This record gives sequence, C-alpha cells and structure tokens, in this order.
Amino acid sequence: MIVLSFSFLIIIWHKGLLDGWDRQAKNETINWETGGGQYWQANYDPYDPFSLTEAHAKIPSEFDAPLSKGDVTSILITQGTIYPRGRIQSVLIKGINSNQTLLKIPSSLFLKSNDELPVLIGRNTANDNGLKEGDLITIRWRDVHGTFDATNMKVTGIFDTDVPSVDMGQVWVPLDHLQKMMGMPDEATIIVRNKSKEANINIDGWKFNSSEALLKPITDMIKMKSVSGMVLYIILLSLAMLAIFDTQILSIFRRQREIGTYIALGMTKSQVVVLFTIEGALISVLAGLLAALYGIPLLAMQARNGMSIPGGSKGFGLAVADKIYPFYSLELVVMTIIVIMITTTIVSYLPSRKIAKMKPTEALRGKLQ
Amino acid sequence: MENSKIISIEGLKKHFNMSGGKFTALNSIDLQITKGEFTGVVGPSGSGKTTLLNIIGSLDSPSEGKAIVLGQSIGELNVKQAAMLRRSKLGFIFQSYNLLPVYTVFENVEFPLLLLKLDDGERKKMVLESLEWLGLSDKIKSKPSQLSGGECQRVAIARAMVKRPEIVLADEPTANLDAANSHHILKTMLQLNNEFHTTFIFATHDDKVIGYLRRKISLVDGKVAKDEISNN
Repeated sequence: MIVLSFSFLIIIWHKGLLDGWDRQAKNETINWETGGGQYWQANYDPYDPFSLTEAHAKIPSEFDAPLSKGDVTSILITQGTIYPRGRIQSVLIKGINSNQTLLKIPSSLFLKSNDELPVLIGRNTANDNGLKEGDLITIRWRDVHGTFDATNMKVTGIFDTDVPSVDMGQVWVPLDHLQKMMGMPDEATIIVRNKSKEANINIDGWKFNSSEALLKPITDMIKMKSVSGMVLYIILLSLAMLAIFDTQILSIFRRQREIGTYIALGMTKSQVVVLFTIEGALISVLAGLLAALYGIPLLAMQARNGMSIPGGSKGFGLAVADKIYPFYSLELVVMTIIVIMITTTIVSYLPSRKIAKMKPTEALRGKLQ
Repeated sequence: MENSKIISIEGLKKHFNMSGGKFTALNSIDLQITKGEFTGVVGPSGSGKTTLLNIIGSLDSPSEGKAIVLGQSIGELNVKQAAMLRRSKLGFIFQSYNLLPVYTVFENVEFPLLLLKLDDGERKKMVLESLEWLGLSDKIKSKPSQLSGGECQRVAIARAMVKRPEIVLADEPTANLDAANSHHILKTMLQLNNEFHTTFIFATHDDKVIGYLRRKISLVDGKVAKDEISNN
C-alpha cells in the first residue's frame, strides 16, 4: 500500500511538474516571442540564416491600423556580427517597434534612452559576452545592397527572460534604426499579432503561423518528457501491482475456509470473486488516502514555492524558468486515480478468478486447492 | 407440512477420482427425512457422513441417483439455483464454527440476511432475536477471537437459525467443544427444533450428540447400515 501511495504521488508530482513547465514555457514564449501568432515574410525560414537576406518586405497596408492600435508589432531580422572582448560573435540583429507593448521585450527603454544607437540584450547574451549596461559594442552588418557596414552601439538595457530564443545570440535595436541601417524602409521580416481571437487575414507574400504551430516544439518536448516519465510510472506501478497480486494470492490461499463459508451461506462463486476483487481494489483507495495524507501538503508546498531548476538548463533551447511551479489540475488527479484504480482492480481480479475453480466442500475444509 | 418428506434420496452414489482410481464415498443410499426431524448421520471417519451432508446442502452433487431437497433435485440445480437454495432454506453449522473473523457477532449473524436483501429494521430485529435465543445479547459487538469455543458455536447456530431455515445441517458441531458446552449447544438446538420445527441433520460420531438424536442413520463404508428411531 505504501508503494502504491508512493506511485500515486510520484505520478501526480511528475505530471504536475511537466504540466507546470508546459504552462509556464508556453505562456512565457507567447508573452516574449510568438504572441497570438506571426505573419512570416514568404522567404523567412528561422532554421536557415542565409534566407534572411531575402526575407524582408514592405509591411502590408492591411497592418497600418492594427500597428497604430498596437494590435500587431513588426520585427525586422538580419544577421550581424559583434566583437565583444575582441572576439567575433555572430548574432541576429532584430529591429522592433520602440512603442510596442505586445511582447515583453522592454523596447520602451529605447524611447527613454538618449543614446543615438541603443541596443537591448538578454541576460544570457550579456553574461556570455561579458557585457553590461552602458558598454559600447561594435556591430557589423550587410545592408540590402550587400555592402558591409559597422558602427558602435550602446547597451541601453539588459533584460531577464526565461525564453532563450529571444536572448541567446541576439541584439535588439529600434526598428526604424535597423530599417535605416539595412536600407529597408518600412520593411519587416515577421509581424506578430496579439492574442485576440480575430481570424487571421490572408496577405500575398506573407504566411500566417498560428500560436499553436509556433509552440509545437515546446509541446513536442513536453510530450517526449511525458513518455520518458511513463517508464518511471510503469516501474512504480508494476511494483505496487506485484505486491497487490501477491497479497491477493496469499489471501485466497489463506482464506479458503472463509470462501467456503461464503458459498455455504448462499453466495455464488462469482459473488465471492467480486467480493475479493473489491477487497483488493480497496487497497488502492486506502493507498490514495495515504498518498493524500502526506502528499497534499508536500505537493501544495511545492506548487506554492516552485522547484528550482539548475542554471545549466538554459541551454535546453526552450523556455525554462529559474523555478518551475507544478500545476496539478483536477483532470490530472482524477485521471491518475482512475488509471491506478482500474489497474488495481484488474490485478485484484486475476488471482480472484481462482475462487471460481474451487470446490466449496474442499474450501470449507481449508484443503489446499 | 409436519411429517411431510422434505428430503428424498434414492440410489445415491458419490464417487471421487483419486490418484489410484475411483473412490466411492456413498453407495446406493436410499433415505427419506421428514420435516421437524432431529436426525443424525453417524459413523466412523470416512464413512461418508460429511459427503452426504454436503449433497443435501447442495455444496456437492450426486454422481448417480437422486437427492431431492425441499422439492429440488440437487443434481439438476445450476450454481445459482444451488446458491439460492442454501441462501433461503438451509443453515449450516460447522465443526470449526467458520465465523468470519473480521466481523462482529452481530455482523456474522446478520450476514445471511444481507444476502436475502432484507431491510435494515427487519434484519436488526431478526439478528437480535436470534442472539437472544442463544443467550448472546451481551456479545453483539465482540469479535469471534474474543469468544470461547462454546460461544463461537452458539454464534454459528444463531447465524444458521437467523433466517429460520427449513433445514439445519450440522457437521460435527461438538467436536471442538468440552462436554458442558456440547450439552448446552445440543439442548439449545433441540429447543429450537421443538420451537420452530426446523429439521436438524447432524453428521457426527460423538456419543453426546447421538444421545440427543431422535433418529440415527448409521453409515458404514458409504452404505446405510442401520436406520433407528430412538425414544428421545
């Protein structure tokens, strides 16, 4: 019963942790990067940096009104190089509207800055390159005509984010600056829309990617983690089920006289099988109560305080917060209980079938059958 | 129904398959038992007493011949019908009491009534009445492990009698009891037989029991050797 209660707890805890991570990762990615979906310029391929030279176009007029209302924000992306501490470092230079509030990129810092060429970077990029606020960095890029140019830019702000894909190897600059630097006035690579439920519009030369599609890598990663977690559940459940199976076998072996008595008193063999199956299944109810007794305070405490994640996990490539707050949904708890109870009932039933083959007269004498 | 035949056995044979061949436990038994009898099947160990009782109790079926109990042919009953017969018409008393160890005295006696799906009030009334007959009113909350052998057997009698069965089958009911308790139990059963006209059939080789029987059916090697009516 203790093993079974432990299984209850581990399964709920592990699933809760993954669900919490899933929720946090998705929420953070939506807030920092994907918004409610993105329009990509037709040539844009985030996995092919060489496509960036072709992946830009005038911002379609359909977005004029939403842009002025702040319902969408445009981002221009190009490749560049910075030279921190005398080293060469390839980066993505991303231009974003200074007055946007749709994404959590703190672009308003551009407006507050008196620097002629302000730059925002994430904490990890800053740490990796030994940069701090106020540092000047030399940045080199290639404009629309293929001409290389370079300038010094000042680190106006360093932001903390749990979404590595807006931090690692990236520098954020005001969109109008980047458009000037690149010779691409009023152009963008992607246009991020807000989380409203309005239908997306079809625009020639732009492809819409829904939020779900953009979050698919996270969903896939969590699914993969869930599958690997299943191995742990199966081992724990197998141990618990083996214990229940053995207990049932022993119980039937030792209680033959009692089984005979039930039959003599007028129960059918199938009723006795049901009785013993329920008795075995009740072990899972008691295990559930035991798990609740020590598990609820433990899980509640962790859901409140979160679980610290090692610093190195930033390299996972998807949003991992410093702390993950497990999320225990009612569905998760109910489903876990149902699965364990069904499994326990089946495991209790299998040895109980032996009763149906017993001779009541032998059972009454307690004779081994 | 007084003096009417409630058990009719004709040419009953029971064989068991043994490793060395077939063993005949009962061989051509012919027997009639009427309502209200206080009868014993007596004989040495291995004479077939318990086998005969098991067949009458529908716990086993004949290999050959007929055993008709309360109008039902035991050999032709299916599992459910046999269970229904035991549940509603038959009571069992065993040598080792066979009380359900985790239940209290009250719950043990109540069990047959639960199977009959009687309502709470009726069940409680019948259980208390039954325990009162047996002088166990002060033990209703006790567990079998807290009772003496004599008390356990009285609980077993209360459990057998609570549903007012037509027939009570008692297999060596005094084998685990001392003389005083044996007499007490037997007097109680005789009293119940007189009061409710319940038919009692014993399987025994205990002289104390034999002394109380009104009819003694002696079995030797699976055959009826003697069938005597006594003056009790």
